Parts: sequence; C-alpha cells; structure tokens
Amino acid sequence: MPVQEARGEATVTAAPTGTPAVIDLVAAARTYPGPPPVHALRPTDLTVRRAEYIAVVGPSGSGKSTLLNVIGLVDRPTGGHYRLDGIDTGRLPEADRTALRGHRIGLVFQAFHLLPYRTATENVMLAQVYLGTPRARRRTEAVDALLAVGLGHRLDALPSAMSGGERQRVAIARALVNRPSLLLCDEPTGNLDSGSAGRVMNTLDALNDSGITLVVITHDPAVAARARRIITIRDGQLAEDSGQPSVGSPA
Amino acid sequence: MRRPARRPRHPGIPRTRMVLRDLAAESVAGILQRPARTALTVLGTLLGVGAFVAILGLTATARGQISSDFTVLAATQVTVKDVGAPDPAQQTGAATRYDFPDDADQRAERLGGAVHAGTYWQVFKTPPAVSTRSGPATGAAAGSQGAEGLTVYAASPGLLQAVGPTLSSGTLYNTFHDSRRMHVAVIGSAVARRLGISNLAAQPAVFVNGTPYTVVGILQNVERLPNLLLSVMIPGRTARADYGDPAPDYAATMLIQTRVGAARLIAQQAPLALRPDRPDHLQAVPPPAPHALQDSVTGSLDSLFLLLAGITLVIGTVGIANTTLVSVLERTGEIGLRRSLGARPRHIAAQFLTESAVLGTLGGLLGTAVSIVVTLSVALAHNWTAILDPWTTLPAPLIGTLTGLLAGAYPALRAARIEPAEALRR
Ligand SMILES: Nc1ncnc2c1ncn2[C@@H]1O[C@H](COP(=O)(O)OP(=O)(O)OP(=O)(O)O)[C@@H](O)[C@H]1O
Ligand SMILES: [Mg+2]
Repeated sequence: MPVQEARGEATVTAAPTGTPAVIDLVAAARTYPGPPPVHALRPTDLTVRRAEYIAVVGPSGSGKSTLLNVIGLVDRPTGGHYRLDGIDTGRLPEADRTALRGHRIGLVFQAFHLLPYRTATENVMLAQVYLGTPRARRRTEAVDALLAVGLGHRLDALPSAMSGGERQRVAIARALVNRPSLLLCDEPTGNLDSGSAGRVMNTLDALNDSGITLVVITHDPAVAARARRIITIRDGQLAEDSGQPSVGSPA
Repeated sequence: MRRPARRPRHPGIPRTRMVLRDLAAESVAGILQRPARTALTVLGTLLGVGAFVAILGLTATARGQISSDFTVLAATQVTVKDVGAPDPAQQTGAATRYDFPDDADQRAERLGGAVHAGTYWQVFKTPPAVSTRSGPATGAAAGSQGAEGLTVYAASPGLLQAVGPTLSSGTLYNTFHDSRRMHVAVIGSAVARRLGISNLAAQPAVFVNGTPYTVVGILQNVERLPNLLLSVMIPGRTARADYGDPAPDYAATMLIQTRVGAARLIAQQAPLALRPDRPDHLQAVPPPAPHALQDSVTGSLDSLFLLLAGITLVIGTVGIANTTLVSVLERTGEIGLRRSLGARPRHIAAQFLTESAVLGTLGGLLGTAVSIVVTLSVALAHNWTAILDPWTTLPAPLIGTLTGLLAGAYPALRAARIEPAEALRR
C-alpha cells in the first residue's frame, strides 16, 4: 500500500538535518483582507523533513486550518515563500499547484467531505479521477487503501451507514490512495470517541512508520503525544513546544 | 534559513486531467443523485423542444394537405356576382334582376386565359316537386318515384363546361338548346339514382312542379360546385322564360374557369367586359392567392405557436440554469474536495456544464419523441399523411443540448471560480 519509502530513522523530536525538507515555509503569512484584516497566520518559518510526524495544537481560531491550507496548496500565502519538496510554489501557475496537490499531498478534513451517494470504495476512487489512473486499476487500489485503514468489511457501505471513525478512515484512505508523500489531517479525531480515535491514531502511526510525512492538527493531547514534534500556534504565531530551532518567527 | 536555488516553473509533475469518460460518468452521477429534481428540470426543455417539433410537424402536415387538395382548383377560378345597382335609391335590390348580358358566356370566354364561363342561380326559393311523371308525386306507382329536397339550378351551357363535368351518360345541353329555350335538363348522378333514371335512350323527362324537361345527360362528377350533383340543371334562358329573373336572394353568379395564373387578371377585366355600360353591377371575386391564404392562416399560427414554444424553451433554460446553480451552491463542499483532489477550475466547470447539457439533451430527446407521437396521432385522426422533415426533426434534440449549455454557462463559471479553501470551510 501507500508505502512511499520506508525510513527507519525518523526518530525523537527533531528532524535529522540531513534529510531533505518536504515543507519549507519562509516568512509565510496569510492575512484575510478585511475590513478588518485578519492576520490568521503571521510571518512564519517552518521546516518539516521527510517522514516527520508533526502535531499542530492551538486554541480555536488560532490559525491551524489556515496553516494547513497553505501547506496543502489549497490556499496561497499572502506573504513570504513556501517550498514543497524544494519547489517554490509561489511562482507556480495554478495548474502546477493543482498537479502538486493532486500527486504529492493527501488532505483529510475534519468534516470528512465524503459524497453521500457513493460507497466507501467509490468515495476513495474519486481521488483517482483527476490523476488519470487507468480505470482498470482504480477499484483494486481503492480497496487496498481501505484495507490499509482497516475498513475491508465496509467496502460497499454508504457514508450514512458508517460510524464517525469509519468515515474518517474512508477519508484517510481517499487521501492515501494516490500515494502522497505528505499527509495533512485537520482534527482527524475531533468528533470521535476514544475507541475510534485510537484506531485512527494507530492508522496514522503505521503510515508514518512507512515513511509518509505527517502533519496533524488536533485539540487532543493524547493525539499530540503520539507526534515526534508538537507545534503550538496562538493568534497566528507559531512556537515549538520542544524549543527546537527549526520553527520561529522572523522579526 | 536555507534558501534553495531557484526552480524551473514546471516541477516536472504531470498536470492533472479529466478524461471524457470520467467527465461523463461524474456528470451523470450528479444528475442521477436527485431523480425527481432532474425530471422536473427536464420537463421545461421537453415542453419547449416538443412544442417546436410538433408545430413544425403539424403545420407541414396540414400544409401538405391543403396544397394537395385545393391549390390548383382554387387558383383557376373567378366568380362574378350580380350585385345589382349599388345605389339603394333605385331599390332594384328588392326586385328580381339579371344583370348579365345574353352573351355573357361568350364575352367572358373571350378574355385572355379564360377557358369556360357561365352563369347559374337557384330557381326556386322552396324546394320544388321533382318527379318522373306529371301530377303530384305519390311514390306508390312503380317507376314514378318522386324526390324531396332536390334543387333546380338555372345554368348556362358555359357553366356546365366550367365546372369540369364528367358525364356518366348522355351529353350536356348547349347554346342551341339555350337560345331556343328548350325544355331540357342535365341531372346529377345522385338525382338520377333517386329518380330511378338510368337509360337515356328512352328520352326520360323530369317534371319540375309539373313542367317536363327532357333529360339529355347525367353528371357523374364535377370538379367545382359539387352540389350540382344533387340538382336538376336547366338552361338559363329556358329558366328565365319559364320563371322570370332570379330572385334577389338567389342572384345569378358567373363562374369562370381560367388557365393557371390568369385568374387575377380576368377578375379585374370581367365586370367591364361583361357590362361595359354598368360594370358596377357586377363584382368579381378573384381566387384567394393560394399561398397567400395558407401563409396568412398557417403563417400567423406558426409564428404564434413558435413564439409560445420559444417562451417555453426560455423557461426551460431558466429552469436548468436555476437547478444547476442551486446544485453548485449545494455542492460547494464537493467542489472544494474535488479541487483538493487535483481538479482544476476547468474540470469543475466542465462537470457542471456537462450536467446541464445532459439535462437539456434529455429534454430535447424526450420532447422530440413526444412531439413525433403527437404529430402522428393528429395526422392519423384526420386521415392525413404525416409530414416530418428529417432535417428539422433529427437535429431537434440538439436544441435541448444547446439550451442546456447556455443554461449551464453561468453556474459552471461560478463553480470554477469558487476558491477551494473557501469551499472546504463549509
Ligand atoms: N475567509 C476568512 N476571512 C476572514 N477571516 C477568516 C477567514 N477564514 C478564517 N478566518 C479567521 O482566521 C482565523 C484563523 O482561522 P482558522 O480557521 O485557521 O482557525 P483554526 O485554528 O483552524 O480554528 P478551529 O480550531 O476552530 O478550527 C480565525 O480568527 C478566523 O476567524
Ligand atoms: Mg480549523
């Protein structure tokens, strides 16, 4: 399944400096034009290396989703630079940003965003439409992704017939089916009971172990504890809990 | 901070795409999600396109019927009416009158393009007793049947020719009989059957109110004035000698048979040629210009109905536009999701445009099918030949497609412009 490249050395809190940067924010900022203008993300430096597992925590309205949208190329920073896999995304035309997003990034939303009239498998297969995956391969790859998140028994279930945890795992399977190198999750356990949340967290752990870079937004300290790095964001300002130098705010 | 060297604009990652088959599948899936709404939306286009095709089919069918039946005959006849003195002070309108000259047939036939011409009028106000023997008809004795409800017409020899007669036996009377005011008659085939006359060799007579007229011919058919087949015709001068001039309510009329194209000119010339002294006593009625007639009748109906069909189509378009727009707004989250999965704005636009085009095409196809059934059943009910022009019928569903594309343009544009970050917030 979505094993990108297995790396055994993604250890402890800080990223090994030798590994290439997946995410490289340089004074990246996002201001929503007012009035009054909202500085949802103040100028931020952040480097995330391959196979890191990062938790982003912070109070509601602090700019977590804004940060994730910028990293996920869903939104453009209003200032600074963002390099993804070394590619300066600010200089890319929209079509290339979309291509990067489709090929390299998997996004998991707090609201799942599953299509209600499609089965779990069909929802996962939607991700393959825009990459032009041959139709013959789509179903088997989608089923593989669902098996990987432990949903082999719910392949043909409609979202309305699934529990919150199952839906979240369908959303994860959909984000994984194109084998992204970067997985971004916005509150993946936000609405789940502890049992379901635990299963989702185990799934994420396994993915990270297989070499996927992981950025997870969460309110849940139990979830944050699983990450190797914890980044706190408050009023759009980032701070690294462990005091690592790889995050900071330029003057 | 580490600042890597500048990268080329294109990162070497293949751009995302949406193949035609996926586009079709996604659009159809979107439509089938809400079958009831889809059906109602399709209805507008169905009615619009259906009305278009049905109107074209029905008018073509009706027009074909009219032209095959009436064009030639109507275009080659002129009627001239005896309107008497137009001045009411003379009060001639109240008295019997005959304003045609004695040689009216010849004068009219001398006009360029005229073929045959003659005058006729109904002789009796009340239906006369017509029988095959003198005295009141009893109907009891064999071979002496009487007949009720028969009309007696005074008809000049030229008229009998002008109506385009087919004789089943005998001959027509001619100017010889007419000028001598002879008691001869030509009867219609229906009259002959009712009176039991079949063999003219015995010179049978019909008695009209007791006056005998020798039957010289039996009309099997006429092209004009079909009621002559139910009548007894006697020469005009004989009638005037026996019964006087026509009564005011039954004023004489002249029928002129013309060559194709000559009728209108003859209608202008006839009153003066017949009565150089008092042309105002006669009124010529030119044939209705056949195409002008049909075009004025069916043309105005055409444009009225086509206008209605157009309005229906516009309503259908607005319906599709509305449904598609609502669907775009409803599915903002889905649009955001698709963008996050690699859809470009053009892919989003194409999907909604295809959905509306499919809706329109569906309406066009169903509308065309329904209207073909309507046209066929109307034609069948009237015993007409249905005429459906393949050049207008077959492309008709495309009207629906165009309607759908037109209706989907704005919603598709709106959908394409939705920012993914904004859409995902929903
Ligand atoms: N489109 C927008 N226009 C203006 N302000 C916005 C917009 N989107 C977000 N904001 C503001 O930006 C700030 C950060 O929003 P964001 O959604 O990133 O917060 P968050 O940390 O994800 O919150 P939560 O934990 O509730 O999801 C908030 O104050 C929010 O009100
Ligand atoms: Mg949020």
